[in-house]
Amino acid sequence: MGATVISIKDLSKSFGKHEVLRKIDMEVKEGEIICIVGSSGSGKSTLLRCINKLEKQTSGNIFFRGKEVRDVQREVNEYRAKVGMVFQSFNLFNNMTVLQNCMLCTRKVLHLSKEEAFDRAIAHLKEVGMAPFINAKPDQLSGGQKQRVAIARALCMNPEVLLFDEPTSALDPEMVGEVLNVMKDLATTGLTMIIVTHEMAFARDVSTRTIFMDRGYVAEDAPPSELFSNPKNPRTREFLSRYLAG
Amino acid sequence: MGLFNFDLNNPQTSIEWMIYLTGKYLKMFLDGTWLTLYIAVLGTIFGFILGYIVGIVQDMKTGLGDNPVKKTLVRILKVIATAYVEVFRDTPMIVQAMIIYYGIRQLGVNMAPVFAGILVTLLNTGAYMAETVRGGIGSIDLGQREGAWAMGMSPMKTMIYIVLPQAFKNIIPEMANTFLTNLKMTSVLNVIAVQELFMAAKTVGGNYYKYFESYLVIAVIYFVLCFVFNKIFNFMEKKLKGKKDYALAVEYMDNQ
Repeated sequence: MGATVISIKDLSKSFGKHEVLRKIDMEVKEGEIICIVGSSGSGKSTLLRCINKLEKQTSGNIFFRGKEVRDVQREVNEYRAKVGMVFQSFNLFNNMTVLQNCMLCTRKVLHLSKEEAFDRAIAHLKEVGMAPFINAKPDQLSGGQKQRVAIARALCMNPEVLLFDEPTSALDPEMVGEVLNVMKDLATTGLTMIIVTHEMAFARDVSTRTIFMDRGYVAEDAPPSELFSNPKNPRTREFLSRYLAG
Repeated sequence: MGLFNFDLNNPQTSIEWMIYLTGKYLKMFLDGTWLTLYIAVLGTIFGFILGYIVGIVQDMKTGLGDNPVKKTLVRILKVIATAYVEVFRDTPMIVQAMIIYYGIRQLGVNMAPVFAGILVTLLNTGAYMAETVRGGIGSIDLGQREGAWAMGMSPMKTMIYIVLPQAFKNIIPEMANTFLTNLKMTSVLNVIAVQELFMAAKTVGGNYYKYFESYLVIAVIYFVLCFVFNKIFNFMEKKLKGKKDYALAVEYMDNQ
């Protein structure tokens, strides 16, 4: 594994009196594919949203390549341009076509020329098999197609880390496969990814590290081969057995 | 004298009077119509711009790590915006017209009635539009903004490229409504001596003591104006909805 990209120190988050994240410490290294699993309400998504600064942590710090990401809008924007995010509900811009979705931020944030932005958009749309749909609007696409466009859109920024927040949870079973396949392909490119998911088979096969979260804590953090076959924490065992029992 | 045999030099029935008055005071009615449109269009356009600004101000949130100066400034702007919206929504336009016109005169500034009329209309429109814009912004799913923020777009750019275009589309019917209301509300501006349609009817009616007929004439004019504009807005709304289908980019089909 390469150098540390993101490190999270002592991160806590509460919504009012409700503590969602409790003193999380985490290091993300270049090329790692980290899957975060756990039951609903365990704080997985909140952790991911904190990493992208969409939620402001109550305490603790986030470092990107050794430098703290402070709560200053400009610094946060620069950081986010390098840390992409794919959402459960896709969040494609409804007022724009697929192509415009993929070009807006490269033009307005990275200030690429029109030609560069276009070439990049087409290249990444091809990667996810959505290039023929450049003229479509989001509401003309299926869920799986939307998510593939959302992944291409995030890739256009050439992110150093890509975060996935339950990317397949809003999809019907037939479409889950097409999105997971795209993500599997991505995993082979060496891109650093942090994926919050309920797809246990995917986590087991694709991740280099699996984190099990329980009630706001990192309960277990191990390679998938260990975590899935020989979980140390009783809560992990309980969770996995329920999953395997279906 | 039959129904289709008008003696327009010696009008008897109401219809004959309407035609007679229209013909005789055509220029006055046309000027009134023109002025009504002029005030309504300018007042509405500038009112929309003001409404957008005020609506955005009301929606402003102080960002991450803003300094205290900016936070205070935003708070002051918000108070001003809220006070403005409340005052203009909670008082009748006819009263606003009087206060603004005579108020400014009392300050020693000689303002043309038409200018005062536009000012009142735009201030009134701005107050209503601000609320509409705020509602329009609120109606856009937060995910749309988060999608842009997550790629490093600033809140301002996100507003301009993502939120406002979608909010704009959603509030077009309300904007059309506001314009039609303004078209009709210009009639109250006769109290500050603006020579718009209502004033024309009042003058014409007074000359012959034929109020019923002369107001009927402008009722028809108002109706036609509103009807036509309504159709135009409906057409625009349809246009803006965009095409239902899209063309597949066949040049990229090879790798499928």
